[in-house]
Amino acid sequence: MNPEVMTAPSIDYIALLPYIIVGAAGVIGVIVEAFVGRNGRRPIQLVLAFGSLIGAFGVLVVNRTTLGLQAEGAIAIDGPGILFMGLILLLAILVALLMSERQLDPAGDAFAPRASALPGSDDERELTTRGYFQTEIWPLFLFSVFGMMLFVTASNLLVLFIALEIMSLPLYLMAGMSRRRRLLSQEAALKYFILGAFSSAFLLFGIALLYGYSGSVEFSVIADALAAEPGQTALVVGGVALLSVGLLFKIGAVPFHAWVPDVYQGSPAPVTAFMAAAVKVTAFGALLRVMYVALGGVRWEWEPLLWIIAGLTMLFGSVVAIAQTDMKRMIAYSSIAQAGFILIGVSTATAEGLYASIFYLVAYGFTTIGIFAIIAMVRDAGGEMTRLDQWAGLGKRSPLVAVSFGIFMFALASFPLTSGFIAKFLVFESALAVDNLGLVIVGVIASVMAAFFYIRVVVIMFFREPVEGSPAAAVPSATTTLALAVSAAVTVILGVLPEPVINLIEQAGVFLR
Amino acid sequence: MDAYAPILVLGLLAAGFAVFSVTLTTFTGPKRYNRAKVDAYECGIEPTPQPMGGGRFPVKYYLTAMMFIIFDIEIVFLYPWAVAFDQLPLFVFLAMMLFLFNLTVPYVYEWRRGGLDWD
Amino acid sequence: MTSTDPSAAEAVVFWVCAFLSVVGGIGLILSRRAVHSALWVALTMISLAVLYIANAAPFLGMVQIIVYTGAVMMLFLFVLMVVGVDSSDSLVETLRGQRVAGILLAVGFGLLLAIGLGSALNGVPVVGLDGANGEYGGNVEGLARLLFSEYVLAFEIVAGLLVVAALGALVLAHRERWQPRRTQREISQERTRGGIHPAPLPPPGVYARHNAVDTPALLPDGSVADISVPGPLRARGDLRPVDTAAVAETAALTSGEATYGPAKRPVADDPGTSPGEPS
Repeated sequence: MNPEVMTAPSIDYIALLPYIIVGAAGVIGVIVEAFVGRNGRRPIQLVLAFGSLIGAFGVLVVNRTTLGLQAEGAIAIDGPGILFMGLILLLAILVALLMSERQLDPAGDAFAPRASALPGSDDERELTTRGYFQTEIWPLFLFSVFGMMLFVTASNLLVLFIALEIMSLPLYLMAGMSRRRRLLSQEAALKYFILGAFSSAFLLFGIALLYGYSGSVEFSVIADALAAEPGQTALVVGGVALLSVGLLFKIGAVPFHAWVPDVYQGSPAPVTAFMAAAVKVTAFGALLRVMYVALGGVRWEWEPLLWIIAGLTMLFGSVVAIAQTDMKRMIAYSSIAQAGFILIGVSTATAEGLYASIFYLVAYGFTTIGIFAIIAMVRDAGGEMTRLDQWAGLGKRSPLVAVSFGIFMFALASFPLTSGFIAKFLVFESALAVDNLGLVIVGVIASVMAAFFYIRVVVIMFFREPVEGSPAAAVPSATTTLALAVSAAVTVILGVLPEPVINLIEQAGVFLR
Repeated sequence: MDAYAPILVLGLLAAGFAVFSVTLTTFTGPKRYNRAKVDAYECGIEPTPQPMGGGRFPVKYYLTAMMFIIFDIEIVFLYPWAVAFDQLPLFVFLAMMLFLFNLTVPYVYEWRRGGLDWD
Repeated sequence: MTSTDPSAAEAVVFWVCAFLSVVGGIGLILSRRAVHSALWVALTMISLAVLYIANAAPFLGMVQIIVYTGAVMMLFLFVLMVVGVDSSDSLVETLRGQRVAGILLAVGFGLLLAIGLGSALNGVPVVGLDGANGEYGGNVEGLARLLFSEYVLAFEIVAGLLVVAALGALVLAHRERWQPRRTQREISQERTRGGIHPAPLPPPGVYARHNAVDTPALLPDGSVADISVPGPLRARGDLRPVDTAAVAETAALTSGEATYGPAKRPVADDPGTSPGEPS
């Protein structure tokens, strides 16, 4: 009468261990928030966060040879997937170092004592003087990293969508938790949330259309369906277009970039670093996997789309960044422009393009974290000083900080001997390999324009007299110093000795399906 | 079927009488309104005026709303699990227990932090 | 009972529910009050749930009722309550031409999708759900097998998403108490020592002529006791003037200058109860 009892799905828990570690640390973090007294929470959360991130990275390194589809084909642990997860974990460790900083702001860390207290209320003042801290940021942060790891390895559209939400929800929350300039921060969170929800809807719509076309949400089945019958193009074109909107939104590509400047400006600097570095890596990882694995069969549909978007993104970001007077907004537009350069690599649809994109993301991720570490340090009593003219004379007052910032600026402007130069070289090379000269020319033009505002920052720091009341960079604790030193070192080493990393990326092979 | 016919007729009669008398009063009764008559009835006392903005709820209730949503979605997953329980292996039972445990964590957190307190 | 054609019955269900769902949609747009719009949406959602169940997808129908009519509608109404039921949005455009551009783009997008999907799905054979539903003894059973085997990872990580949602709700909306909770003793001491009227306030002067809560009571000396009228009424000046003739009469009775008997004065017309006056 009754059908047979279902056989249990086969799950390799060892292969899934990195996810399990980070996810479990998040859940344990919530339990800690529930049961541990107010003063005991922070040390436990720090141990959980650093322990799980480093532990997951260690397991990933040990597991690096066990490749394959896991959990009934829901996620694909392959070479690029492991690279992306490793990069996300490394960047997350650096961001965690920035988040645990408590020396820069006299009142404590970069986050509001309680996000629920009204900005400027008596409640908020009382909580600040009592030394309350919002330790919930740690579990939120871990859940976000958990979502990112799933997002870059998701091998079906359902997991892709849920992972996107797990990654994004904590970001919406953390964007609104700045200790200083609370209203700006809350505005940023609201904008990010509403636009993010909107883009998720587009992604979901695209998933529905692709499911309608292929009858499955698995990447491999979609790829097979595209290979078997190239008909029914309305469903495919609609699905590809809407899916791309959702992913390109997270990347911050033009014309889905509107949230980037406001959100980068309003969020606390460590969270902005997280968004600019890790989220961009994650979104590109997922875009590459979706485009190369699931939609490789309709390459001719999305390649021109990506060419146009890459060109627009590079030019728009570079042109608008020139006019900015706020450091965070300028970096935001610069990150839009950088996304355009990475899109060149994605749009080639070749293994070289994949490697070039990954290398670019490595270089860009570390540089960005260094930049926001310094932005968090240049501050006065009211918070970060982000007006460009307030940075005048930083080279005289805090030479070491200014020199580091100069290195990052040169890297973003892709000067030789920095990681940015090699990255851009590889990306352009991959585009030339598929005879896409036009896009390379646009890229070079955009690079020249972008170099202008990066150099301008260096000029302001070193060759302009300081204005009244612009103090030197605050002295950070060891954690920020460590994060800054690592990102500066990576930026220089990748520029001088890129071969080991390039070899590592090329050994990773291509996506599994 | 025949056994229920009187009940049906009785029901129709009752409904018809209710509709008839309510309709009749609107046509026949005198209509002399004053302020006290058109006010909302609050046990005979004058209704207190509505606050500005039409009475806004405190955002505190959002916590309750969110808990409701979470356990609502839990039901969505419990439903197929319960219906197909005899076809599912032990693995699925454990998977569901893990799921339920994970959903209990925020509930306990909210409870401990006083999110469910009334004051 | 004659055997009825199942497709005919299905057609009846379809037309009834389709009509109701469209009515709900139109009601949503045409309602002036947000709460009414929300109730219209509930109608649409329930009609859709019936359609799903009628189309051999009972799980989807139940989810539609549990999640949409239950949870999502409740959140809609909750948000309306938080924002304020009577609050209205400013209809001034902050970006010029935004509304026109938005409508044009939305209509264009809708047309594009409708035409594209229509042409793509035209001529696709209808398979129906009987095969899928019959395999394991029912729609829900089949779904359970899929959900707990192929998509078991997706199922588990949904828990993570829900944990984040609850955590975020508490972080954003819960105002943590930093001062010690006031005990009942403190509250009662504050009430008695703080100069606040400790006992129940005197009731208003009740004459069975009208809704008398706005009629103040009189103190033994004949003066008006303002606190006998609710504060909001006092604040907006809605005190009913005291009938001085009645007061004098009472005083005369009390002092023995007059005796009980037939009314010696004409009953004053009550200004508030004249027929037809809404105020």
